[in-house]
Amino acid sequence: MLSKLQRHLAKDFMKIFLRDRQSIFFSLFFPVVFMSIFAFIRGGGQEPIPLGVVNQSDSAAAERLVEMLQGDFAFTVITGAEDELREQLIAGEQMLVLVLPADFSDPGTADGKAAGLRLLADTSQFNQLPLVEPMLEQKLMAIEREFRGEEAMFSIEVENVQALSQNYLDFLLPGLLGMMLMQLSVAGSGYNVVEFRRKGILKRLFVTPLMPRDFIAAIVVARLGIVLIQLTVLLAFALFVLDVRIIGNFAEFYLVGIIASLVFLNIGFCIGSVAKTQQAIMAIGNIVIFPQIVLSGVFYPIDAMPGFVQPLAQVLPLTFVVSGLRDIAVSGETLVQIVPSLIGMAVWFVIGFALATRMFVWKEVAA
Amino acid sequence: MTPIIRAIDLVKRYPLPDDKSRTFAAVDGVSFEIFEREIYGILGPNGAGKTTTLEMLEGLNDIDGGSAFVDGIDVAKDPYSVKKIIGVQLQESEYFDKLNLIELLDLFGALYRRDIDAMELLGKVHLTEKAKARPANLSGGQKQRFSIACALVNAPKILFLDEPTTGLDPQAKRRLWDLVTELNDAGMTIVLTTHNMEEAEFLCGRIAIMDHGRLVAEDTPQSLIMKHAPEPPEAPLHGNIEDVFLALTGHALRD
Repeated sequence: MLSKLQRHLAKDFMKIFLRDRQSIFFSLFFPVVFMSIFAFIRGGGQEPIPLGVVNQSDSAAAERLVEMLQGDFAFTVITGAEDELREQLIAGEQMLVLVLPADFSDPGTADGKAAGLRLLADTSQFNQLPLVEPMLEQKLMAIEREFRGEEAMFSIEVENVQALSQNYLDFLLPGLLGMMLMQLSVAGSGYNVVEFRRKGILKRLFVTPLMPRDFIAAIVVARLGIVLIQLTVLLAFALFVLDVRIIGNFAEFYLVGIIASLVFLNIGFCIGSVAKTQQAIMAIGNIVIFPQIVLSGVFYPIDAMPGFVQPLAQVLPLTFVVSGLRDIAVSGETLVQIVPSLIGMAVWFVIGFALATRMFVWKEVAA
Repeated sequence: MTPIIRAIDLVKRYPLPDDKSRTFAAVDGVSFEIFEREIYGILGPNGAGKTTTLEMLEGLNDIDGGSAFVDGIDVAKDPYSVKKIIGVQLQESEYFDKLNLIELLDLFGALYRRDIDAMELLGKVHLTEKAKARPANLSGGQKQRFSIACALVNAPKILFLDEPTTGLDPQAKRRLWDLVTELNDAGMTIVLTTHNMEEAEFLCGRIAIMDHGRLVAEDTPQSLIMKHAPEPPEAPLHGNIEDVFLALTGHALRD
């Protein structure tokens, strides 16, 4: 498929890219940090709150309240005597102790006097008090209704927070990978070409009988190789460290990744053709990259965006890539099912290729 | 004897920097012939059009007017065939700085679809001990010699050198002259540009002097001195090529 010359060149470009430790590091570092941060923000943090409960009452209502607290995933309930728990609280082993006094009685059967609950807390340590208080109050109201035989006016179903955040990471991963593919590929073709031109390397290469198509083929093949390695590293990190799930077929996921890379390599060549200096390529690159990061549904679905930007968002190259990757990873769809996204990528590939070959001024490598 | 290089009325136009709608001729109707096994020097102040002329002969730059033949090949029609038989050392060219010298030479070999002995080439330019070094770690003279090694990978018929000794110390300069002489003795035709009059006098069989995109003189160094060197009163002819150069191009500063 590749000629001997193309293989030799591609191998050398691989070496050049791999020996650039700094950019390899950053291209992996940022996506890893990104994913980890989202994993922590959305996934962690929601540990159940430890709650000591002292039940001095023998009423059914008190019994019921303890039961309800124990059944609530927001709390880990430890029951015990007040002295004991108070000591633990002072020693810093407990954060919050709820005392149900002996006169805590069943609502409706008592003489109408409200039962006083005491909440012992080390406020310096425990900053979730404002959060816990209303939660307790909710519980008490629910019990009151139960015992008075009233129907609740409202009910809130709380879904498992843990599962939800995991879903977000699952949603996010294909987006982040698509974004990374875009940045690596655009940088990998465009920035390199401008750099090679600036240093006079392009000119030196084209004093030899090197054909532009061989040069392009080699750089594309080398970049694809690098991008696939990086994709694999990030995917492994997401799957094994962050427990992200990919439901669909891995081979198909990679295939979409390769197509995406080709699309963005072409776009990179276009930018590299327009930009004459390193600053110019940074500016033009950012104009191409950043709107796509915001608009292409990397971090949230396109449906959630204002209506007037949606038509634009729908046709961006990264949108097709992210939705293709996501349909495979999250919904387990097959290539046949994501044909619309594939067509979108194909159209961008053709546009990019036509522009790149037309705009890349080969004579200009000499000037 | 048929010339190996023929430039006929070569013209290169560029848009004016301050008025893009107008052009100026960087090379303005230059004709010359270079013969096999010759060392031919092109001299001229900065901006005279030396490099542009070379680039047109090398197939690197479009020819806007006239024509150029290298070894009988029309450069404008078939630059690829020309590129196969010439070796080029560019002014201050850089290389991929992540590859070492051996890897770079092998790469250039591949570009000519040739299997080469990189160590032998490095030996030719006295860089064997730098085989694993990166170009960025070479001195100026070493870099120039490496550039010549790169230009030799295809065993070219004609070697183009663009200001090969600019910025080199005397030792490095001498060494490069020796190398050029060796290559020429081995049968290679060499075309070089230079600002160094001593170099032109020492190396070149014939010299062309360019100014404002035109060829103002062309001959052997000796004849040029005879023709153009200033004649002091009551004294035998004296002077060197620098005098010739200044007499032909004027004393005004350029750049």
